[in-house]
Amino acid sequence: MVTFPYYQTSAMEALNAQAMALLNLFAARGYVREEPAVLQPAEIFLNRSGEEIRRRTFTLTDPSGRDLALRPDLTIPICREAVLANRALPARISYNGLVFRHQPGEPNRPTQFFQAGVELLGLGNARAGDAEILTLAVESLRVCGLKDFSLRIGDLALFGALVDGLSLPPQWRARLKRHFWRAGYVESLLHWLGHGDSAPKLPGSRAEIEALLQADAPLAGRTREEIISRAMDRAAEAASLHLDSKIADAIAELLDISGPAQEALAKIRALLKTIGINLDPQLAAMEARLATLKSLGVDLSRVQFTAHFGRNMEYYTGFVFELWARDKEGPVQVAGGGRYDSMMEMLGAKTPVSAVGCALRTERVLAAKMAGGA
Amino acid sequence: MATLTTSPLTLAIPSKGRLKDNCNAWFAGAGVTMEQTVGARGYRASFTGFPDVEVMLLSAGEIASSLLAGDIHLGITGEDLLREEAPELEGRMQLLKPLGFGFADVVVAVSQAWIDVSTMADLDDVCAAYAHTHRRRLRVATKYAQLTRSFFAQARISDYRIVPSAGATEGAPAAGTAEVIVDITTTGATLRDNGLKILDDGVILKSQAQLAASLSADWTAEARSACERLLRKLDPANPLHAGLAAHLPRA
Repeated sequence: MVTFPYYQTSAMEALNAQAMALLNLFAARGYVREEPAVLQPAEIFLNRSGEEIRRRTFTLTDPSGRDLALRPDLTIPICREAVLANRALPARISYNGLVFRHQPGEPNRPTQFFQAGVELLGLGNARAGDAEILTLAVESLRVCGLKDFSLRIGDLALFGALVDGLSLPPQWRARLKRHFWRAGYVESLLHWLGHGDSAPKLPGSRAEIEALLQADAPLAGRTREEIISRAMDRAAEAASLHLDSKIADAIAELLDISGPAQEALAKIRALLKTIGINLDPQLAAMEARLATLKSLGVDLSRVQFTAHFGRNMEYYTGFVFELWARDKEGPVQVAGGGRYDSMMEMLGAKTPVSAVGCALRTERVLAAKMAGGA
Repeated sequence: MATLTTSPLTLAIPSKGRLKDNCNAWFAGAGVTMEQTVGARGYRASFTGFPDVEVMLLSAGEIASSLLAGDIHLGITGEDLLREEAPELEGRMQLLKPLGFGFADVVVAVSQAWIDVSTMADLDDVCAAYAHTHRRRLRVATKYAQLTRSFFAQARISDYRIVPSAGATEGAPAAGTAEVIVDITTTGATLRDNGLKILDDGVILKSQAQLAASLSADWTAEARSACERLLRKLDPANPLHAGLAAHLPRA
């Protein structure tokens, strides 16, 4: 891969042919093709994504002073349009186009590449939605002629449900969930909760807290009530913040589980039993995804479950997956996707709208196919 | 590389303020006399007895960007500016010597009214709650966008956005243009005057003036020997001039 790719005729023809095959498959499954603008208002990425996406987004200022961005993905503009246009749900949308990413510290990665993908918005039945997208991802690689690939799967909802079952203050549960995708950090939080000292103390009464707030300082965007209420929560949590060290250690152990999916799920079940936490609905959802893969003829020994697997894009909320193959240099991720149920509300939807989708790195798919698969 | 001078070796020092005075004192202490001349295109100077060294007087920020661009061989400026200009210094610049002046900390500061926030972990909670309640990211005003990004990433904070600030950053929370600031402070007095406080673990960088070498400048044999001779005089107690050659690109 080069930083500034130049597509020769043969490469362009091969990519176009592959894209047609993909778009035809998507159309056959009921997905309509759409194409957002390459140049987007910067704020839709910068306000709604975290600094990680912002860091990788090319931004520019137009002559009138307006901030613009080259789209770093197509998911956000497609979801935004669905919100603005008040689309009938469920909506099935496909795309194929260039995205642009700054690659800090990795000068050999391309700053632009093609992505083809699908978004399934507002389907009430989450299990059916996961199955539909997972199926489509597998079929996509096959329609491109790539037969040999492996999968990595995970589920942020599994960890979310686990954390919801803990006797911790809500903001601590939220914090653990928010950082699920950061391997290492969550473990250090858990260790602190199970074995660490208690948090520094704030005064316990509302009157004392209000007295502290008399300082002549700007509220800086938060309301008085926001500050007081969080201070009181924190004072309360300082007294109660502790997790049974056995449970904290078991969760850390659980997060470390990784391996062939069926074995990994068995390990998780055994571990949950020892600490008396029931996650049967979430585990059943994972079993159902494995059944979907099996029915597609995917060898389950090539499906890896990683408990702490999230994606480095910050918007995933549930099921996540990656498909891997080999090009002539080694293993390469050719597709990825998952569930991002909070995205539509972040983009302005008045009610929660479920969302699940996947994207293919089509140039990598082509390179993997040329290299003869895994 | 752009050629700013015809001398083999170019050293840039700050053109005004306390940094400049401190540089002059350092030179004088080492027995190096600087003769300033006003050139046609900005300030130039020379060191008595060092005809192959040209001294340029630039703004502290220009020195950082000129080092990065390879327009000058050596420069004296704040480490904060160097690290902001080039987040990955390796292979681009070599910090030769902390000079013991120009001390300042780059810090994360929030309003004193935020009595519930004293650590980066608190700020992380508030960022997430703010994004949820207000439907937009909390804004951090700073002129240190790069330093802020990497520090917030280390602290695992992602629900925020940076608002570039050209000056008077400490006024942003009161003005309502940002909720949090990352700024430079020496005594903390300016922050306190604006109703702000530094987070307990919010010191991003303890900065001071640094003598730095550009690795992309044109290091001719003449430049290398001029550099060694100058440093041996400026810093006789430190064998850095011997080690320096190993870090410089071969001509």
